[in-house]
Amino acid sequence: MPNSQQANDVANYAAAVRSALASLPEAERASLLEDLENHLAEVAGESDLSLQERLGQPEDYAAELRSAYSSGRNTPNVKRRWPTRERSWALVKAAFGTQVYSELRALLPELLPGWWVLRAYLVVLVLAFMFRGDRNLRPIPNPFSSAGLLQILATLIAIFISVRLGRRGMPANRGWRGAALAVNVAVAVLALPVLVSMGTAGSYAYLDAGTSDPYFPSVSAGYYPGLTNIYPYSKEGKALNDVLLYDQNGRPLIADRGDVVTDVPTGADGLPIPNAYPLKQRDSSGLPVLPPRVALPPWPTGTPAASPTPTPKP
Amino acid sequence: MQQTGGYPIDTSQLLKGVLDLAVLAVLADHDSYGYDVLRRLRDSGLDGVGDASVYGTLRRLYQAGSLNSYVVPSEEGPHRKYYGLNDRGRSALDQSTKTWGSFTRALDHLLNGRSSANAK
Repeated sequence: MPNSQQANDVANYAAAVRSALASLPEAERASLLEDLENHLAEVAGESDLSLQERLGQPEDYAAELRSAYSSGRNTPNVKRRWPTRERSWALVKAAFGTQVYSELRALLPELLPGWWVLRAYLVVLVLAFMFRGDRNLRPIPNPFSSAGLLQILATLIAIFISVRLGRRGMPANRGWRGAALAVNVAVAVLALPVLVSMGTAGSYAYLDAGTSDPYFPSVSAGYYPGLTNIYPYSKEGKALNDVLLYDQNGRPLIADRGDVVTDVPTGADGLPIPNAYPLKQRDSSGLPVLPPRVALPPWPTGTPAASPTPTPKP
Repeated sequence: MQQTGGYPIDTSQLLKGVLDLAVLAVLADHDSYGYDVLRRLRDSGLDGVGDASVYGTLRRLYQAGSLNSYVVPSEEGPHRKYYGLNDRGRSALDQSTKTWGSFTRALDHLLNGRSSANAK
């Protein structure tokens, strides 16, 4: 067979194989058929017979290709729910080969000092969680409480130590390096539940896992950071007791307990009632916290506000 | 696909299961391109192996990260894509060799046990 005719034969056969595999995902098809023409040209060069005579129908060739490519052991046409091990490897390989990955990798050494600071913070946070119990743990401890101040100081010292350790670099000994890595991972893993228990709403929401109703999400809203109590009054100026307050989502409204001790009443079901206001509180020396003086607004006279909501007429 | 109830072994089915191993073994010898792999497989006695199967297997093993690949220009014919084993390919070959060894030992044991039982 003359060369030009052979080239024609190869092109036609390859085109037929390509179209027979049209249902494969594009990337897969491109990767499978990348070298097809060259390969077929090699086969064609071996003899004067046409490709069809040597390899059979292009459709059969395509089916065999597909079967061998999609693993050789499994039926080719079935879409599996999970990628095969080979494909997963290919995915991992592709992910690691990307520009984004190499850029991220180059960025890692610059991010290391950030981790040194973060891990110190997390270590102290975990320790505070373990020793103080889980009451009122906040992202940034209250510097006006002794425990909070201690936590901040401990964090600063821990950051100092952690950065010094980090700058020294990884130990040369393999065993020690593994141990160092394990400690870092352990810090990250231990800190996770603590961070989760803090809630995600930042300083505008406070967690009081010790007293909040277990039936409700543990976080309640407070519009005023530092709000420790609420004193409701009736329209007539009478101080009300045990008023149950809820936020717009129906969650009990829980005030920031701060450094005062709160006596939370317990319901008939044995569960604490954390949102009955005003809260009965004592300060750190055990004295009851007295309600503040309030200036009640004068209501306009002559308005029908005293009657219940007027019912709309049909 | 047809069930091969009591029929003699279909070698193409056997080949399907061990083609990866065979291709890896051929490449462990030295790097090679698709058509050459096919030729060497056939020369070593696996003459039922199909061209498309070998080509597809090479592409898959390459995609799976078990093979390196590079193109060598050829003077008279088309460029040739050579494949060779990398570390992962070599460990896959080792692994599969062990599996194949224990598989054939088990089957040999079965067959020998049967033939000696028949001899009694």
